[in-house]
Amino acid sequence: MSAYIIRRILQFVPTLLGVVLLVFILFNWIGGDPAYLLAGKMSNPEQIANIRKQLGVDQPYYVQLWIFIMQIVTGDFGVSWATNEKVSAIFATRLIPSLTVLVPMLIVGTAMAMVLALLVAYQRGALTDRAVMITCTVGQSISILVYIIVFQYIFAFQLGWFPVQGWGQDFMTNLLKFSVLPIVVGVAVSLAPDTRLYRTFFLDEINQDYVRTARAKGMSEARVMGVHVLRNAAIPIVTNVMIQLPALLAGAFLIERFFSIPGIGREVLLAVERSDFPVIKAVTVYVAMATLVFNLLADILYKAVDPRVQLK
Amino acid sequence: MTKACVFIAILFAAILVGCGERASPDSVSPHAGSPGEKALRLTFSTAETGFDPVKVSDYYSGLVISAIFEPLLTYDYLARPARLVPNIATALPQISDDGKTYTLTIRRGVYFTPDAAFKGLPDSRRELTSADYVYSIKRFLDPKNRSPYAFLFEGKIVGLDRLAANAKKSGHFDYDAAVAGFETPDRYTLRIRLTDTDFNFSHVLAFNLVGAVAREAIVAYGDDTNAHPVGTGAYQLKRYVRSSKIVLEKNAGFRELRWSADAGSDTADQAIAARMTGKKIPQIERVEISVMDEAQSRWLAFQRRETDIEYQLEELAPKFMTMDGKLKPEYTSQGIRMERSVDAEIIYLFFNTQEKIGNAPNPIGGFSKEKIALRRAIAMAYNIDDQINVIRKGQAVRTHYPIPPGIAGHEPAYRNSIAYDPQLANALLDKFGYTRGADGYRTLPNGNLLILKYYSTPTERDRQFDELMKRSLDAIGIRVEIHKDRFAELIKLANQCRLMMKSAAWIADYPDGDNFMQLLYGPNAGQTNSACYKSPEYDKRYEQSRRLPDGPQRNHLYREMARQMEADTAWLLTDSRYRNVLLHPYVAGYKKSAVNVSEWMYMGIDRQGPH
Repeated sequence: MSAYIIRRILQFVPTLLGVVLLVFILFNWIGGDPAYLLAGKMSNPEQIANIRKQLGVDQPYYVQLWIFIMQIVTGDFGVSWATNEKVSAIFATRLIPSLTVLVPMLIVGTAMAMVLALLVAYQRGALTDRAVMITCTVGQSISILVYIIVFQYIFAFQLGWFPVQGWGQDFMTNLLKFSVLPIVVGVAVSLAPDTRLYRTFFLDEINQDYVRTARAKGMSEARVMGVHVLRNAAIPIVTNVMIQLPALLAGAFLIERFFSIPGIGREVLLAVERSDFPVIKAVTVYVAMATLVFNLLADILYKAVDPRVQLK
Repeated sequence: MTKACVFIAILFAAILVGCGERASPDSVSPHAGSPGEKALRLTFSTAETGFDPVKVSDYYSGLVISAIFEPLLTYDYLARPARLVPNIATALPQISDDGKTYTLTIRRGVYFTPDAAFKGLPDSRRELTSADYVYSIKRFLDPKNRSPYAFLFEGKIVGLDRLAANAKKSGHFDYDAAVAGFETPDRYTLRIRLTDTDFNFSHVLAFNLVGAVAREAIVAYGDDTNAHPVGTGAYQLKRYVRSSKIVLEKNAGFRELRWSADAGSDTADQAIAARMTGKKIPQIERVEISVMDEAQSRWLAFQRRETDIEYQLEELAPKFMTMDGKLKPEYTSQGIRMERSVDAEIIYLFFNTQEKIGNAPNPIGGFSKEKIALRRAIAMAYNIDDQINVIRKGQAVRTHYPIPPGIAGHEPAYRNSIAYDPQLANALLDKFGYTRGADGYRTLPNGNLLILKYYSTPTERDRQFDELMKRSLDAIGIRVEIHKDRFAELIKLANQCRLMMKSAAWIADYPDGDNFMQLLYGPNAGQTNSACYKSPEYDKRYEQSRRLPDGPQRNHLYREMARQMEADTAWLLTDSRYRNVLLHPYVAGYKKSAVNVSEWMYMGIDRQGPH
């Protein structure tokens, strides 16, 4: 197992290098010259040259690429070009609001989808199953924007159950007052596709011989479904959850924008609008690293969930 | 399954309820301000960048900065066109006869807000002196600050550019070095010597970013001055979550200042003055600003009284406004008011007037009769009414003059000589030999292909402008290619005089006509003169105008310059946008400023009063 983990970690290096190269090329090719954005309304070539010098974009490309790599190694991405705020401070302050919303959203959403999927899988082909599947298909077809606008209008504006938007100073206020509606929206959006997906995982297992054997042995349906089927369907579910985890780092930018949550998703959008390369670089690299780490964790979890899995 | 059914049932029921009725005016959100609270809650539609006056250029950062820092001069809160009044200076500057020396006396007893940067001083605060303004102005030219507003002082103050040039060479800006252009004979006197005659430099001294900063604070906070503003203004920064929440609190040590403004003959202004005159400034004790990117969120929050004033709802205007620009009755019945004003801006379509773009011939460049005729025909074919009514949904007015309303030098009676007339445009092109081919499109008089290039950004809004341009030019048989590029790249190309045609906007930095008329000054090609227009007649008059104070003589020159530009058709002036500000009935004293004046300090709030 240790050898496997070390080998996988070593594989991170070429993957990350690929990401670095891609981001660097894309930014320099598509990103535009940030000096012209930062120079203001009335700038002369001398000022533009001064800004380029200060940002380091007047250096040859290979020097800029080397600086980028050293930033990853040291974890110091410098300061935002637009606001002068340290990139590390941006992450430190914006990540917590994002996670306050996204972690409960993921937990509640996954739990609800699993329960619902298990229930409809059990009643496969029945009216309930068909009704839920049709509802899920419709729900899946609706844009997240519609969910946000409708939920915000009804539950915050019309019914006044939640604030329309906002963010407070302490964790509990944020979690219990400002995050509830965004979490409900997020869960509503993810419920339909996750339920459909998990249903197929459960259906694959329900038809297996061991289920028939368990029933033949006289086990209760609750035990068959809740223990045997659930445990065997856990591997693809874990994979799906792990795939979603790195996205927590990037935040849910639409939800954050509409509910004015000072999270990392909004910050990424702002950085793109402002051609703020240090922030874009840091986010891309961290998300890539998180993806690699969570993929590795998923593989290790397979082993924990199913002892038959061999990591080689 | 049961849970899902319940959830879906609740959702559908809620939708049905929601569609059936609107939140009642009395159903104030529990998240609204409490009675008696003297806090103003508002939103910014775009995140601020910071509060160091020399490092920012965005509108919203400027609003906060103008609440925290104080320039020497300011503008009367109500007077239109904007009128200079003393602020930290005890009087308007004494200007020497040659317009090169400005002398100002600074108020005594004005203190920076207490801050750790002043440790060791009584109450951790320090008195403002004339040297603080010298330091603050010098910062604009420190290359390390890469100030977007360095142009305000570049080439203007004797000796300052040399100091900046030395800093570029050495990498260190010597703030202690003497500059011949600055004299501080005592703590409260400031003399500024200019390199050339300029009777309008007072506007620079009233610019909201030219407030005094304390050197101790700038040194103490190093690279993070954007988050630690320390000024002398009516408010100080109390809480700051970047790009999310800005809370300002009344500066307890703010100097004694009473509400006073020139209401003139405007009845609305008179009502404001009657309610506010004599009151102590500021009335509002706390300003809470939330950054809300989405118009939908801002609109709902305003209706639920989670915010008290709403500045930016352009996209949603049809929801609360009638076609004739009035607030809908369902909102007026709630006591909501709308302040509608035209922004101090011009939007224009510029034509590159250079004969070549790079090495390629420019079909619309040059000043021969047929080239001017071509530009004129394009301008006459462009449907400005469609731009205003369709694209802007009526939220703009036609612009006739290069200087917008509220700005010194504006001519309300002036009428642009270029009118929408595609028929005449076609006749003009026929006359100058731009003949139509079999495909219906015209060629150049020499028979070569005539293809124009119009530039815009890849946004939904710009796509509408592209379509309008294409439709307008199709009507006169001219082919146009739409070129898309990123905003930064378009600025770069404009600065290199490589854009053939593009729409542009200019928002007033300070309320003086010079800020607009410089946009067509020849030597500004490569900077702000995107048309790269070089007219000796225009330039001569512009140089004369710079030596004159605001008045009939300068206005006469401006009129001649505007006509010259029209005759050469370097621009087509299109429109200026409306700003519709919504206010709840308990908000008093609001008047839209032509420029970034600290408006919150002039406003009042009375949630308990009759409304």
